Amino acid sequence: MSRVKDVWVFTEKQESIAELCAGARQLGERVTVLAVGSRDRIERIIAFGADRVFYLGDTGADRTVEDYAFTLSKLIEEEAPDLFLFGATKRCRHMAGRLAARQRTSVLSDIMEFLTDKDEIQGTQMVYGGAAVRTLASKSATVFSVVGSGVFTSLPEDADREGDVRAVDFVEPAYRVRCMEKRERGGTSVDLTAAKRVIAVGRGIAKEEDLKMIEELARLIGAEIGCTRPISEGVNWMGRERYIGVSGVMFKPELYIAIGISGQIQHMVGCNQSGVIFAINTDTAAKIFSQSDYGIVGDLYTVVPVLLEKIRAAR
Amino acid sequence: MKIAVCYKLVPDEQDIVINGDHTISFDKAEWKIGQYDLVAVEAAMRLAEVAGGTVSALSAGGKQLENSKLKKNILSRGPVDAYMIIDETMSDADSYQTAYVLAKAIEKIKDVDLVVCGEGSSDMYAQQVGSQIGELLQWPSVNAIGTITLADGKLIAERMLETEVEVLEIPIPAVISVTSDIFQARIANLKDILEAGKKPVVRWDLDDIGGVPEMSTNVLSVLAPPQADRRRVIIGGDSGDQINEFYEHLRKEL
Repeated sequence: MSRVKDVWVFTEKQESIAELCAGARQLGERVTVLAVGSRDRIERIIAFGADRVFYLGDTGADRTVEDYAFTLSKLIEEEAPDLFLFGATKRCRHMAGRLAARQRTSVLSDIMEFLTDKDEIQGTQMVYGGAAVRTLASKSATVFSVVGSGVFTSLPEDADREGDVRAVDFVEPAYRVRCMEKRERGGTSVDLTAAKRVIAVGRGIAKEEDLKMIEELARLIGAEIGCTRPISEGVNWMGRERYIGVSGVMFKPELYIAIGISGQIQHMVGCNQSGVIFAINTDTAAKIFSQSDYGIVGDLYTVVPVLLEKIRAAR
Repeated sequence: MKIAVCYKLVPDEQDIVINGDHTISFDKAEWKIGQYDLVAVEAAMRLAEVAGGTVSALSAGGKQLENSKLKKNILSRGPVDAYMIIDETMSDADSYQTAYVLAKAIEKIKDVDLVVCGEGSSDMYAQQVGSQIGELLQWPSVNAIGTITLADGKLIAERMLETEVEVLEIPIPAVISVTSDIFQARIANLKDILEAGKKPVVRWDLDDIGGVPEMSTNVLSVLAPPQADRRRVIIGGDSGDQINEFYEHLRKEL
């Protein structure tokens, strides 16, 4: 696999800067991070693997991250990077789309794997709700891509790394949206992708209070809890950050226990790379069983209490 | 206020057939309106009902758009009329081509104050078209909108990001993409469906809106995902012994 020359990185989240820098170093010769926020972050960004940092400035009462779209657009015009990687957040997605439109091209969205070949950049992505994997090549001078979370593994932080820092002048936006207020979103900001063991629940759980039993199981075995889309968006029993599937978390924990989950493809694409999969479901014909290592056809309200008892007894 | 809501017809993924060589086939697939687009239509209707105004449905695609059942389906959900850009090129259009054609159509419709898009298309789910239409029209655009009202000629909207909520003031004209759970899409009644058949549908060719740019991507392959090999040890019931057997397998992994 040949490498392209210039790879740029833009993401709002400190954790994903390290991942994207590692990816950018695999794919390109020179890594440039476009940084918005506190100036103190710059040294760490270089330690994460950036060769250059273009420091755009900080947000404040009268300046949002989105307002930097015009500044970024001008930089792209001037420098024409080969590849521009964005984190998999709503904000980054929107920024990528806007910047790509200004360069008259599409974004390679949610790329799981990159190939750079014969001066062409290719990426693979899930389509049709996870029923297919599509491989695309971009024809544009600058290739824009939103990188799926967890695709690249961060390199160890190297405090001795040196890099160039360039402060970039702000370009006044021609049109903008004003942010009047910001508040924390309810729920914890759990990062399921970092969990080694995950228990996921689906509509087999009858009542919200029954989650207590699942929480107890998770606590005993040191697991995080995730869910299917109906649990987070249908009945709102869990936050969106816990929803596993095609438009939510996609990850590969060592152990995955699916409880009351039928195994629809839209869910399974999020977890089918797990090390070992266990399933509890009342329906013999549930799709989950053909995609599990161990399954039990049974009522979770019978099975889980017995498991709790046995795990407690074994401690 | 004049609102245009964008939608896309997609093949029902339940009808996808996987061929022996891992390619996929849609030959037997039913076409439907994207599920996130139905939510966008609902959001547009609710805003028009509260703030006053009309909603027009807008789509670009292949010949499936001609299907009278699907035309009635979209119009039975409240829009007063529908605009369609129909050309086979558009059935495989990438997000930039789609955004380009929709932006041209919005200019041609004239006097649109707000464009509403869904979270993403149900087939490709790139979540890009709304953001791109905004840039092509040079209007402000925002994604992830979870609530929306109109006050003093501006939109006040909440944007649902991963860990925070932003309260935004959006000047119009603007383009917004709404979350998948901003509203539940309504179910049309018989009267709505009958009336939908009488609503005007404006049909444009690509020439009517000045053509379409070339694709910016090449699709190299679309294949069924490889299945991981699983042991598939399935215990057929939940008697005490059977749960114990299941537990023994689990214990070895803990």
